[in-house]
Amino acid sequence: MSRITVENVTRRYGDVRAVDGVSLDVAHGDFLVLLGPSGCGKSTLLRMIAGLVPPSDGRVLVDGRDVTETPARDRDLAMVFQSYALYPHLTVARNIGFPLRTRRQRRAEISARVAEVADILDLGKLLDRRPRELSGGQRQRVALGRALVRDPGAFLMDEPLSNLDAQLRTATRTEITELHHRLGRTFVYVTHDQVEAMTMATSVAVLNHGRLEQVGTPTEVYDTPASAFVAGFLGSPPMNLLDAEVVARDGRLHAVAAGVDVPLGLGDPGQQGEPGKQGEPGEQVRRPAVLGIRPEHLSLRPAASDGAAPEATLRGTVRTIENLGSEEIAHCRVGAAEVAVRARRPAGFTVGEAVVLTVRPEHTHLFDRESGRRLVWRPDRDAPIPAARVPVAT
Amino acid sequence: MSGMFVEVAPPTLPVPIVAPAAVGDRGRTARRLARRLGRGVVPYLYLVPALGMLIVWTYRPLVETANYSFYSWNLSPTQPATPVGWDNYHRLFTLPELGGSVWRTLLMIIGLLPFTIVIPVVVGLLSREVRGRARSFYQALIFLPFLVAPVASAAVWQWLLSPRSGAVNRATGSSVNWFHERWPALIAITGITGWHVLGFAVVVVAAGLASINSDYAEAASVDGASRWQITRWLTLPLLSPTLVFLVLSTVLLFAPQWTFPLIDSLTQGGPVDATTNVYYLLWEYGIQSFDAGLASAAGVVFFIGFGLVAAVLLWISERVTIHDD
Repeated sequence: MSRITVENVTRRYGDVRAVDGVSLDVAHGDFLVLLGPSGCGKSTLLRMIAGLVPPSDGRVLVDGRDVTETPARDRDLAMVFQSYALYPHLTVARNIGFPLRTRRQRRAEISARVAEVADILDLGKLLDRRPRELSGGQRQRVALGRALVRDPGAFLMDEPLSNLDAQLRTATRTEITELHHRLGRTFVYVTHDQVEAMTMATSVAVLNHGRLEQVGTPTEVYDTPASAFVAGFLGSPPMNLLDAEVVARDGRLHAVAAGVDVPLGLGDPGQQGEPGKQGEPGEQVRRPAVLGIRPEHLSLRPAASDGAAPEATLRGTVRTIENLGSEEIAHCRVGAAEVAVRARRPAGFTVGEAVVLTVRPEHTHLFDRESGRRLVWRPDRDAPIPAARVPVAT
Repeated sequence: MSGMFVEVAPPTLPVPIVAPAAVGDRGRTARRLARRLGRGVVPYLYLVPALGMLIVWTYRPLVETANYSFYSWNLSPTQPATPVGWDNYHRLFTLPELGGSVWRTLLMIIGLLPFTIVIPVVVGLLSREVRGRARSFYQALIFLPFLVAPVASAAVWQWLLSPRSGAVNRATGSSVNWFHERWPALIAITGITGWHVLGFAVVVVAAGLASINSDYAEAASVDGASRWQITRWLTLPLLSPTLVFLVLSTVLLFAPQWTFPLIDSLTQGGPVDATTNVYYLLWEYGIQSFDAGLASAAGVVFFIGFGLVAAVLLWISERVTIHDD
């Protein structure tokens, strides 16, 4: 049983805050992925949980017990390193058995347990080899075996798949997920690979510049990103983010920019008929924001039928097209911005052609231009400005 | 329904490349050969200066030494060298000095090992705890004696170890006459050499420790290892190439060679040969007794002897050391 709690943890290196006031609660049996670009502090956070780096501030708790001052060896956690850190002078069997040897277990017990673990990971034939005689995938499994052998409360993994080739990475991803299901232990897993995060995690914590941007299930993080950073980090290509202004027109809210006029499906039609309140007839409040639309939520409508569809449009020109086999991605210029559109092949894009793209209102996202946080609409007659900035609960 | 399946042809180049016709142009072939030869010679040209130096300063003297070992000659340019066959070798092995000097060299090696292995490892492990500038300061402090010229340090130590007024005897209350008693003289020479090389060995060990990936110690600490277990099971085995290098240096360099300036300036091999090691014996035979033949024979014997020792040590180290790759 291991529940890992991180309370307001900060790690400073000189003036730099590698991790800045992060709080997380990882329930027993959770698979938490710490996701973020390189330098976001995810590895430092993991190392603070492991006890390899002392936090400058804050507390780390395992099962409610404060372990901030406890040395790594007494935390009952196992860790898989990015480099695997297999002891080069020891055989596979002794590498796997190392954690038991430190606990002064008897030789017979150790070899029995090592054989058991080797069986799970299909390493039986390699037990007498040394790490340098193993392939990358085999080394990775030995590192996993060393973590498994003593049945720790939780597993910490620091980009364990980053040194494997694409095919092996996919296979190992599945193996680790299965292992998590089988063991039912807590996993904290660091990666910069969003595919790993989306496929393996039960919850994802997105970090940026040492701060926590969002914590949620993979679905939540992808479908309702709490900040423009999360929106722009997840997805391939990521969410299109356009500077726009939110305008109330006939009581409905629209996001408007050069080449962009998208109804947001928000607002109160009852407010209709108060034109000119803020100047222009028919248009009321203006609020700068960032409009976000996922590439797969944009669809193409031929420019010819333009006139018949007054709503929901982005107008632009196709600049390049990428063929991904099953799908294609068209990069279009809309006003001053680049917009990616993802569609099944053949989608009918032609380079240089003018296109009209549509999006359904429920697939639009709004973010604050200053803070980057997600904007959520709260209907309220007294406040005509749609500025309710509700921080998404984590 | 009529028709048939046709296989899709594998990709081919649209226009076949025609091999250039073999023209019987001898001039061109010769030029091509010359160019290829020229290109082959270039790397060896780069090697020439280094090889030249090696031949002039190492291999030619070696061959000459081997040659002189079969002659009787007193180093005087006016005196001819007379061939004596294996006489010099016979004399060398019947004289008692050779065995004694080898034995004393061995004692010096044993006496130096604490300075070149034990203390540097302990200091290296402890100084890892010191961070930043303080650590460089400590290392510089330990390295400093290595920069003192041996003759200068000999003068200082002669003073420190002087029987009546020396600081060492006054501090310990003893009345040992350090450079005029057999064992104290050997201990003094070994100790001063140790003091000299200690800084070097500490720096080598520090470099060796720094080259060990810190992931291992971190992984081991998460695996539950105590500090002592990490040192014993990981750090020391991974440091083994460095330690073997230091053992080799002690055997081949520090004990026989680096003791020389101290022996020469402090004891001149005495008292009663108590500090004469193999190199000092060589020097005595050749430069003091003007017996070039005997000195050359001793040189050849030591060359072969140390060569064998080095080969054995390397053979052992290949089996013992762990290379982290």
